[in-house]
Amino acid sequence: MWRPLLSAGLLISVSGCSLIGGLRRQAASPIGLGSENREAPALSGDGRLLASLVERAGRTTVILQERRSGTVLPLRHLRGHQPHQSPSLSWNGRYLALVIQQGQRRQAVIEDRASGQLHPLFLPAGMEPQGLALAPNAQRIAVLVSRNGSSQVQVFDLSGLLEADRAPGQKETGGGAQAPS
Amino acid sequence: MRGALLALLLLLLGGCGAGGVRPLPGLNQQLAKLNNGKSPAIAGPWLAFLASRSAGRLQVQLIDLDRSAPVPLPGLNRPDAQPISVAVDQSGEQLAVVRQREDRTELVLYRRLLQSSQPIPMDPAGVPRSVSFSANGRVLAVEVSRGGLWQIDLLELP
Repeated sequence: MWRPLLSAGLLISVSGCSLIGGLRRQAASPIGLGSENREAPALSGDGRLLASLVERAGRTTVILQERRSGTVLPLRHLRGHQPHQSPSLSWNGRYLALVIQQGQRRQAVIEDRASGQLHPLFLPAGMEPQGLALAPNAQRIAVLVSRNGSSQVQVFDLSGLLEADRAPGQKETGGGAQAPS
Repeated sequence: MRGALLALLLLLLGGCGAGGVRPLPGLNQQLAKLNNGKSPAIAGPWLAFLASRSAGRLQVQLIDLDRSAPVPLPGLNRPDAQPISVAVDQSGEQLAVVRQREDRTELVLYRRLLQSSQPIPMDPAGVPRSVSFSANGRVLAVEVSRGGLWQIDLLELP
């Protein structure tokens, strides 16, 4: 049973669809006219939203779109803090985590689209964020950090910082490090 | 100036955010033993990423976060392939991997139950670089080099 073919939206052009190897394909082109680079895709847990990086005035900038319609969704706090890097979304897209530029430093942050808050993630001393992946329920985050010249993946518990963003019908299991995400 | 404003904004909006981020010491000590970490992906209790043990080659690593234990991936890490990007779905059953093999770059879908990898051709032709899974396991977003541009292909799985 195939889901409806992705519709050609106003702001996203479908350059071609095909059915190969049991897959339904869509090429997502960037907003605006013409072709441009589009990188670092990240899907919400339910697949409804797509975050990606584009160039805006020469600066790498995250955009958030509805995957099917291409509608661009507003982000409140990130303008002026490019280059953006490594976007990651929670299950329903309530939270967008990414690495931004803060002065001379890279800073991992999470924008809560429901409350409008911006949460900085203060990592242990000596760790510089290079990339990240937010768990769909937003109760954990994996951060790629550089430390002592090496890159490592480290995991942090966010249950004391963020409300869970769960799939509809998914039961609350108590949160914390041991909770399914 | 912008940096100072953002710092102020972070303090005002973040509130007690610093106290809300808690490292997982036992797990992180294990992860710190792996080198050249890359491409973390997390869904459900599963953490997938690329790393090497000692001075070895990069390999796809899958960790069960609830048990803080690595999960074997028979047949995925091949001696003739170098992984570039990995993504996992919430069930932990499907992993999407971009890898270099025999002078070409390919996207494969690995199913743990079957212990097998199925190549996913790029159409139109292109060179994949990174991949993202929707946690529900239904959609892949693939960053592809095509015609001198980086593009994103969206693939709905059956």
